[in-house]
Amino acid sequence: MKALTANRLIDGEVVFWSHGRWVERFGEAELFVDDAPADDAEGRAKSEVTVVVEPYLIDVVETDDGAAPIAYRERLRALGPTNTPQHGKQALGGHDIDVIAHASGVARSGGRLNLIKRK
Amino acid sequence: MYQYDVLDKEFLADRSAEFRHQVARRLAGEITEEQFKPLRLMNGLYLQLHAYMLRIAIPYGTLNTAQLRKLAWIARTYDKGYGHFTTRTNIQFHWIKLRDMPDILDALAEVDLHAIQTSGNCIRNVTADPRAGATAEEVDDPRVWAEVIRQWSTLHPEFTYLPRKFKIAVTASAKDRTAARTHDIGLALRRERDGTLGFEVMVGGGLGRTPFIGKTVREHLPVDRLLSYLEAILRVYNRHGRRDNPAKARIKILVSQLGVEEFTRQIEAEWALIDAAKVDLPDTELARIRSFFAKTDFETPTRVSAAFDAARLTDPSLARFARNNVHAHKVPGYAIVDVSLKAIGATPGDASAEQLDALADLAERYSMGEARVTHEQNIVLPHVKLDDLPKVHAALKVAGLASPNINLISDIIACPGLDYCALANARAIPVAQDIARRFEDADRAELVGELKIKISGCINACGHHHVGHIGILGVDKKGEEFYQLTLGGSGAEDAEVGKSLGPALPANRVGQAIEDLVEVYLRERKGEERFLDTFRRTGVEPFKEAVYAEAH
Repeated sequence: MKALTANRLIDGEVVFWSHGRWVERFGEAELFVDDAPADDAEGRAKSEVTVVVEPYLIDVVETDDGAAPIAYRERLRALGPTNTPQHGKQALGGHDIDVIAHASGVARSGGRLNLIKRK
Repeated sequence: MYQYDVLDKEFLADRSAEFRHQVARRLAGEITEEQFKPLRLMNGLYLQLHAYMLRIAIPYGTLNTAQLRKLAWIARTYDKGYGHFTTRTNIQFHWIKLRDMPDILDALAEVDLHAIQTSGNCIRNVTADPRAGATAEEVDDPRVWAEVIRQWSTLHPEFTYLPRKFKIAVTASAKDRTAARTHDIGLALRRERDGTLGFEVMVGGGLGRTPFIGKTVREHLPVDRLLSYLEAILRVYNRHGRRDNPAKARIKILVSQLGVEEFTRQIEAEWALIDAAKVDLPDTELARIRSFFAKTDFETPTRVSAAFDAARLTDPSLARFARNNVHAHKVPGYAIVDVSLKAIGATPGDASAEQLDALADLAERYSMGEARVTHEQNIVLPHVKLDDLPKVHAALKVAGLASPNINLISDIIACPGLDYCALANARAIPVAQDIARRFEDADRAELVGELKIKISGCINACGHHHVGHIGILGVDKKGEEFYQLTLGGSGAEDAEVGKSLGPALPANRVGQAIEDLVEVYLRERKGEERFLDTFRRTGVEPFKEAVYAEAH
């Protein structure tokens, strides 16, 4: 399963793709089971050059409770820095935040697709 | 400190207006991100994990009260109420919005601050001894020379696109508080027996993936030849430094590959070709710059302060603070005060807007309007009267800035790590917080004595882990945060790259490992030995045994 993420151009905020628009909560992100629609969304996102910077797909794991990014780096982006729980998206709280914060037993890195650009 | 003149101010205003225009064009889609990225980086603006990060240059770590207050205002207005001081004596704001950047640059320009050359493959902010102008140890004020280099290197057309970034540090004391030998060029001012001032020029130091301690290419460069000699070094580097591989592009690689003799020969040959009269600074200009740093308005209070001596007898916390954070000043009756940004459990190097304002107030009232940033992510109040120490200490306590732990085990350097940085592999801040909490007992920390722990969240080594007495490097090992420990490094005058202790440890074993290392040190140490001295005498074995014993 995949999701599409980027940083918003005007303020740097971490955003996720959701059916043609960008949302700030991972919990509202569109999750792609198949590759084709994910790639389509990525292609479309890449054309939104005045909206976001460097959109990319990430791997997502679905648990009984809900979904979370596989990569630890991506979980941090979806939550905020661990040294200041009052900053970032984690401060909003909610079930989707709890799921990401307690995601365990999944890889802490990797999961960012197409990270290495091969010449 | 140096005062901007009309030309300097006009230049900053122009530069700010230029960036405002560039941001507008980017938002309007007139330029692409690929075109915009180098422009924003030239103005210190990175895109990190959660937001943009703005890195502001603090030349030779010196700030006046107006600048401190402006930084506090920016923290409050445009960030989340705090700033982060770095190992390059700069300040970073971690939650900046692109749309606010033009206004932020305007605000910075009002107090002669900017973010130029805080990124990119150019000569970066020049750092200097944070005790400059205050310590009796120095042979000259290194800020004078750092300012000379700042003016020379700012927008230097020949050195704007170097193979890689370039960092210079200047010290003028035998005790090195700038980590000079870990810089691309380290300059150490020395006075010869005949009384002349000269620089020991060290080239090719650097940390990162391939750590090197800088090699001396000149024992005694006459000070009036500084700029032409720097130009010769930069030219050799610019011509021969590798541009095909960023990991091998720093000058340290060139020095290492050519060998120091051949590299020195090439510098000297290049130097001979330079028209020195066009490059070296005229005496009149040097005198002009020097005049900004000459402080003559010290009062002449008595050598000892009855008020301070009485206060520390009755207040053990002041006595402890004085033992660890207060240092001799060149003028009798004054002291240099180190302000720790390493409160137990806090993020190393972070200062809140309220703390920045408090530091501005203290600098204004008690330290001739000046504060310094250290490469160890602390602040210095350089000119405090002994009589005022009790008041300064009390005010620091109120601001949460009175941690009496300078150079002790909880005075840890840590980079922002994976909590903020797009390059990091692992977190650094929580590791520092855990270690500091383990050594929260101030008596125990003092018993352990000087012990420099430095933590980086990736191999780029912003946290200087290679030169920590104990260095900690975060690595990504099969998807988990692991940490490699090195021992015996030093960034001071006895600079050395630390030696690996053994296989990387999982995050939850690092704190205990540090405790084990300290126990070995306390068991093995002789007399007044620091951790580093004991390690150098015993070697790695007893330490290795303690940490990896269970695995045997």
